[in-house]
Amino acid sequence: MNQGIGNEQRAMLVETATRIFATEIDHARLQTAKTAGIDRALWQVLADTGIPRLMLPEEAGGIGGSLADLAALLHLAGRAAAPVPIAETALLAAWMLDTSGVPMPEGPLTVAPVSGETVLAVRAPEGWRLNGRLRRVPWAAASEAIVLLAESTEGWVIALVDPRTLALRPGANLAREPRDDFDLVDHPLPAERVFPAGPGVSARALRMRGALARALMITGALERALELAIEHARTRVQFGRKIGAFQAIQHELARLAGEVAAARAASGSAVNALGRDDALIAVASAKIRASEAAGVGSMIAHQVHGAIGATDEYGLHHLSLRLWAWRDEFGNEAAWSTELGRSVLRSGADSLWPSLTAATRD
Amino acid sequence: MLFDNVDFADLELPASTRVLRAEVRAFLREELDSGRIQPRLGHTEFDLAFTRRVAAHGWIGMTWPKQYGGQERSYLDRFVVTEEMLAVAAPCAAHWFGDRQTGPSLLRYGSEYQRTRFLPAIVRGEAAFALGMSEPGAGSDLAAVKTRAEKVDGGWRVTGQKVWTSWAHKADAFFVLCRTTPLGDDQKADRHAGLSQLIVEMKSEGVTVRPINFLNGRHQFNEVWLDNVLVPDAMVVGEIDSGWKQVTSELALERSGPERFMTTFPLLIELVRRFEKSDDARALEAIGRLVARFQALRRMSLGIALALDPASGGHGRDLATEASLVKDMGTLYEREIVEAARLLVSIEPDASALTDEDSLAAFERYLAQTIVCAPVATIRGGTTEVLRTIIARRLTGKL
Repeated sequence: MNQGIGNEQRAMLVETATRIFATEIDHARLQTAKTAGIDRALWQVLADTGIPRLMLPEEAGGIGGSLADLAALLHLAGRAAAPVPIAETALLAAWMLDTSGVPMPEGPLTVAPVSGETVLAVRAPEGWRLNGRLRRVPWAAASEAIVLLAESTEGWVIALVDPRTLALRPGANLAREPRDDFDLVDHPLPAERVFPAGPGVSARALRMRGALARALMITGALERALELAIEHARTRVQFGRKIGAFQAIQHELARLAGEVAAARAASGSAVNALGRDDALIAVASAKIRASEAAGVGSMIAHQVHGAIGATDEYGLHHLSLRLWAWRDEFGNEAAWSTELGRSVLRSGADSLWPSLTAATRD
Repeated sequence: MLFDNVDFADLELPASTRVLRAEVRAFLREELDSGRIQPRLGHTEFDLAFTRRVAAHGWIGMTWPKQYGGQERSYLDRFVVTEEMLAVAAPCAAHWFGDRQTGPSLLRYGSEYQRTRFLPAIVRGEAAFALGMSEPGAGSDLAAVKTRAEKVDGGWRVTGQKVWTSWAHKADAFFVLCRTTPLGDDQKADRHAGLSQLIVEMKSEGVTVRPINFLNGRHQFNEVWLDNVLVPDAMVVGEIDSGWKQVTSELALERSGPERFMTTFPLLIELVRRFEKSDDARALEAIGRLVARFQALRRMSLGIALALDPASGGHGRDLATEASLVKDMGTLYEREIVEAARLLVSIEPDASALTDEDSLAAFERYLAQTIVCAPVATIRGGTTEVLRTIIARRLTGKL
């Protein structure tokens, strides 16, 4: 993994991304994205900064950023409700491609499978044939290529599939971000589009990375929802007082802040755990805690806003719709809790405390 | 917004704490295996012999300056010792308040005489402190304390009543928050002014300690009556009339420590034991969730300890809001463990679990002990309601 770009350069990158999201994204753009799917203009501005290739090493045309560097950007993307596949391109596809020594194509990318399906790849005279039924592939129609993880008799392979060659069944998550289905039935691919997967690339590793990406984005979105709720409580007057002066509202704001803080701690803590043997505790905890926070926190944000927050014309819903979608993607809190619980019970009672305290910095 | 200056991705304990943790763990394992200590949940027991053995390892006052007997170790080292003690519910009451509150207060506000006299004694496990804060009419509203001190030649005469004073019957001395300047009739006067902190030795003439039994039937709490007790000037902590600032200035570490979310943790361990190798779907999900929530709270707590730790390059920024959030959520989390254990394992805990240490399996004992002590954690050290009000005011500013 890259060492990262250093504190100073990360601060510059965060500043740049913050400025881009602030100038590019507004309520109208987000409304448009509900039907258009991806915001291509925003994507282009981000691409010009090199953000999609942040984690590639410099010799591969990247910036040499670490996962922690990218995590800071995913947080911002979540805050902004950015309708672009940054996580899919810069985190998931870039990792699968770079680890496998495959040059990264230009443009927005996505990955599959994301919903636990199996794709089988078999050798054929023309190269390879792929079979699988894929569901809820993020941004598939909008992407230049789908980086597909498939099982073969030779182990995991990754295949670069052009979405224009597929019969996509368009769908969308609750926030209207594209989530498309397609079937691969003896789908032919030339040999030069299929590669042995690099070390550590597996369906499980992909699911963990996806879960972490969503946890980081949830944290950003919920943090922004908290800010909106605070601002509303400071300005909205009812019964002759600012509503933030009412203890009932104050306590709800405090609960929301707690959800944001817990999501931030859990998701941030999982960033450097990826790739470690004991990554499950950190990554599962991140997705569980962030998903819980998404549900509890979004309800509080709306309750504080009253009817104002529940309308199409007010910005809160761009965040809450994403929170309700992202908490279910790459495994919801029940799925990850069950997996984490199984691991804890298998290791046994006397391993619980040592495993929770294992991580140290060398 | 929240935790803006804490980089959780890079927040790992330094390798040096691994050695310390192994030492503490081995020590506690030996204490437990030999039967010298018996874990008890709900409140931490007062066991002076145990405290002296902990002291012999240098684990009390370990962050304090060497000149006062400390070891100048990092907050993270102290964090590790604390969480290891909590993970086995070790009986720490005899040094708990000295290590967490009295010592840091004296280091910040105490006189050289007070530091020299008390800090090395705390470090050796030879001086146990209690805290005389609450009164019958001053719980959450601490500024309402009525205990008063009047200036006399060479000191102060203190009269009043403290209540819910933990382990006052075993302590050597306690910090008394009292009014040194009367409030007067002005309704708009600053109620936080005119309060002071005095160190009162329990053996002083005029101090009477009476037990109040706790919900679990045990004696931890006390009423402490002060009847014209003479307290020398040398026992005034910091400035006269600055007691409020002194009491509230160092709450960040106090509110965010592992003791705010770990007091029922041994029950979680025993719950896991009950379901080891099981495939019970409810247990899998419930335990997974409890572990995830624990992880989030521990990382928050660790993030604050690291940020405040000068020895670890901490920036010392104000994390009082985050600290209050740890206490708010952590104390509620402790109850979630109890409720999950109760519902996943359908037993009716027997009352003997509250008094007889050996009669029942650990799970049943811990369950009974934590159920009857469940209301306390969200009250002591700032009620949930007070905390949430403080948090919200910090978020919104003055309205």
